[in-house]
Amino acid sequence: MCIYEDQIGKFDWRQTYVGRIKFAQFDTVSTAKRIIVATEENVLAALNLKTGQVVWRHVFESASSGNIQLLHVGEKITTVTGSNPYLVRGWDSASGVLMWEWTLALQNDQQAVYSEWWVQNNKLVHLLPVIGSHLEVTMYNLLTGSNRGATSKLPAVWNNDGCVLTAPYYTCVSGNMGSQILLSLDVTSNVIQIISKPLSNFINLKESIGGNLRPLDNSVVPGFIVDDKKVLLIKENSFEAVGKELVDEMASATVIDGGNEQVLLQTWQDDEKGFQLTAYSISTNSEVTEIQCSDPTMSIPEAEFLAVMCSRKAKEQYACRLLVNAADDALHLMQQGGRSLWTREEALANVVTAEFVDLPVSDTEAAIESEFDQKEGSVWSAFSRRLHTQYTQLQNLIRNLQGQSAPEDSTNALVRDYFNLHKIMVLITEAGKKLHALVLLDEDETVQVFPISAAPLVENLYMYVAEKETGKVQGYALKYNGVSVEAQRTWSVQLGGPGPAQIVAVATRSRLERVRSPGRALADRSVLYKYSNPNLVLFVVEKPDPTHKEVVTAVVLDAVTGALLGASSHRRARALPLAVHADNCFAYLYRSEKHRRLEIATLELYEGQERWLEPDVAFSSFASDRAPAVERQAYILPATAAAAAFTITERSLADRHVLLGLTTGAVIEIPWAYLEARRGLTGGDEALLPYTPELPLPSEASLNYNRTVERVRGVLTAPAGLESTSLVLVTGLDLFYTRVAPSKTFDLLKDDFDYYLITIVLGALIVATYSTKYFASRKMLKLAWK
Amino acid sequence: MFRLDILIVALGFISNVFCALSSAEEENGNGRYFIEGRVFPAEDQDPTNWQVDTRVHVNGGEYIGFIKDDGSFVIHNVLTGSYVVEIVHPDYFYEPIRVEINSKGKYRARKVNYIQTSQIIQVPYPLRMKVMSKIRYFQVREQWRLTDFLFNPMVIMMVLPLLLIMILPKMMNDPDTKEDFKQISNMAKMSEFPEMSEMFTSLFSKGSAKVNAKPKQVKKRQ
Repeated sequence: MCIYEDQIGKFDWRQTYVGRIKFAQFDTVSTAKRIIVATEENVLAALNLKTGQVVWRHVFESASSGNIQLLHVGEKITTVTGSNPYLVRGWDSASGVLMWEWTLALQNDQQAVYSEWWVQNNKLVHLLPVIGSHLEVTMYNLLTGSNRGATSKLPAVWNNDGCVLTAPYYTCVSGNMGSQILLSLDVTSNVIQIISKPLSNFINLKESIGGNLRPLDNSVVPGFIVDDKKVLLIKENSFEAVGKELVDEMASATVIDGGNEQVLLQTWQDDEKGFQLTAYSISTNSEVTEIQCSDPTMSIPEAEFLAVMCSRKAKEQYACRLLVNAADDALHLMQQGGRSLWTREEALANVVTAEFVDLPVSDTEAAIESEFDQKEGSVWSAFSRRLHTQYTQLQNLIRNLQGQSAPEDSTNALVRDYFNLHKIMVLITEAGKKLHALVLLDEDETVQVFPISAAPLVENLYMYVAEKETGKVQGYALKYNGVSVEAQRTWSVQLGGPGPAQIVAVATRSRLERVRSPGRALADRSVLYKYSNPNLVLFVVEKPDPTHKEVVTAVVLDAVTGALLGASSHRRARALPLAVHADNCFAYLYRSEKHRRLEIATLELYEGQERWLEPDVAFSSFASDRAPAVERQAYILPATAAAAAFTITERSLADRHVLLGLTTGAVIEIPWAYLEARRGLTGGDEALLPYTPELPLPSEASLNYNRTVERVRGVLTAPAGLESTSLVLVTGLDLFYTRVAPSKTFDLLKDDFDYYLITIVLGALIVATYSTKYFASRKMLKLAWK
Repeated sequence: MFRLDILIVALGFISNVFCALSSAEEENGNGRYFIEGRVFPAEDQDPTNWQVDTRVHVNGGEYIGFIKDDGSFVIHNVLTGSYVVEIVHPDYFYEPIRVEINSKGKYRARKVNYIQTSQIIQVPYPLRMKVMSKIRYFQVREQWRLTDFLFNPMVIMMVLPLLLIMILPKMMNDPDTKEDFKQISNMAKMSEFPEMSEMFTSLFSKGSAKVNAKPKQVKKRQ
């Protein structure tokens, strides 16, 4: 449960992420070279330019109040977060410390979502376009939020929803099909000057739909792309067409300032030629070959320029840093010529679920196993095989002793270790695929099986469908009738009584879970048998109530028969989407509104003092019609939890602990003995702790000590080959992996086991034995001579 | 330090008065209020950059506040209600405080008590959050101590027979019991490891003379 200080990083690792990048800018002001990023996960961070590591990081609220609307890196960093009311904050870019903070509430709440923000001359500019009417522009003092009183309303009847902002220009395409006009307006200038040109000046309106505008990505010059083809820049209050059109429709384009000339950069992913990067000087109309790149081995889907910085050295050579965002949420920093400096896989900040996969056994281990497989063959061949494998093992041993590892190629390096502690984790992120045989049940109760060849495998399959919003649960029996799979509705339950209810959490048993013992011994030497039904499902339902506001009800159902086996309800409470189930134990969390605290409730199902089934008889939901006894208990949790899981071990011999991921970033391990529903029962049962309302959360129970995991989303557990050990992966914004031993490492020598002491003691014992014997015999010899 | 304390207290007092006077002003138009306070770091904390690692969580992250250079923080746009304000730092523990804002915009800060929810111990507002303790995540390895070594079962196992064999006979000066004891110990030696002893003595002494001599000696005596 607790670790020693010298064990830091021995069994665990943490990786920190920031999420998919929304805005990024190079910090050119401070001396430390950094990239400041703001992400879709509402994180503001500074990344080291050379390594890509996080220098500092601020995590905002995960709700819409933490959404980052603007990132501006000047002398100080400015962010605008939230969604009416907004918060404007200034940060010191070197240290990340908050410098100033003020709040801004817009009067027009419904239009607020269309707000655009930017920083100009130490003023925060807010633009609110009202479609078909006007533009509202307000400037605020960046540090204090005082706005010289006025919001200027610029009449703009031509304003529509296809307009783009390339600060400070607001550009629209207006007019009838075929005779559209391109209009652009500097919204911050004191004099209203509308730049207007017919669209046909730039593109052939007969060939294209006309009027689709897309701004350049983080360009130094305001500019936009018309119809994914023509690049237009706004210079000195007029449009300027770039000589070269967009090479690919999907390309991301930007204009950079390369010393004395401006360069148009484009990047896209070609199906055959791979990653493409082109550079084109606007003033000289020539290609800049040293920046360009075409690499078929590289794949950056939907590449998009986040920030580009180029400088020209004396030798007329470009030195560029290109920060590129990809559709797979990866962040790449490249230099001129497309060489990648580092990559951050930010998709891992969004892990949906994970599987632990066993590694294959090594060749020598496999050879030993194959010996037992071959039943045929003479004794001599088996003997020679045995000699051969032992010879290779001996070779490996000698090689290891000599300090060389076995000659391995990269594929061989991934082999299973002795205790099966090393595993591969397959993480499924939000943009992922799952390949399994799937059984789908349509709304009209027809069954689809993917792939279709798997249909004959459907036999004795039961499904339940829970409607999250209504609280209705229906059970189906699936059968293969030779042609197709049919679903038959077998049961239907309205959870939480009549009326609408919301299912907040569902907990099912882990398929890795095993049941160790049929019961538990009591103090009086009798056995209390557990109700070990593998088909149990826990539903946590929240329901409005006329007298108690909200009522949380937890219902345990048999998913095959629909039988209600246990229930518990809490008045004036809000359910949390956290529920876990293993064996006959259930735990779920809810917020008690009455006492304004978080509580964790547990349920345990027991058959009683007598066993219902004979030993070795498999449990069947249809065979038993008796209801188990339900034990209930609830405890106060003095923290806020965001994820929960049970530890799982190979054969469930070790104790079962509950792991809770807290919003503070800690992952706490609570032994089931503290949560037990039978805790506090009187009757001299020594194994039970006396009841205390508040759960102790000692800091030593924290699995990840000060390596906190920001915004914990899930805790995943898997058994290791060692019975004592369970592997734990915590997902969230960060990833944290460790292993826990719920019953201590009873099958492993302690990691501080004193090998020297035992060797010295044994050696000393042997020496003492024989020396005393020698002295005794000498003494006896002397005595005999007397 | 003392002077600084006075200053802080005075500041706190002034802001208290200010708040009392201007509770209506704290509202920014939308029925939203703000919670303010100040965090005092531990003395052994890095004075330059502790603000970045410290966060203010309201209701477990529903609102998040950041700390300015001087340790002050403000949580903006809070509606009326009851909030638990906690300071989150990976290495230091701060006591959480419950802040209640009523519909009139009056503030009340009190200690968090999850068990007796009606018990009110008021604390000053604006909040003053001080480090309670450094969080101890790790077990302390046992130091090597002589007593631990001596009471180690293995050491006892080694020392106790030594005592029995060497000291006990000397203590018992009575010749008869001495004789008996010797006989018993010889018997024990004979039965326990005769082969091993022979093997080892032959190994170490490189001669067969002693090996033959010793059993003979014993036999003579018997």
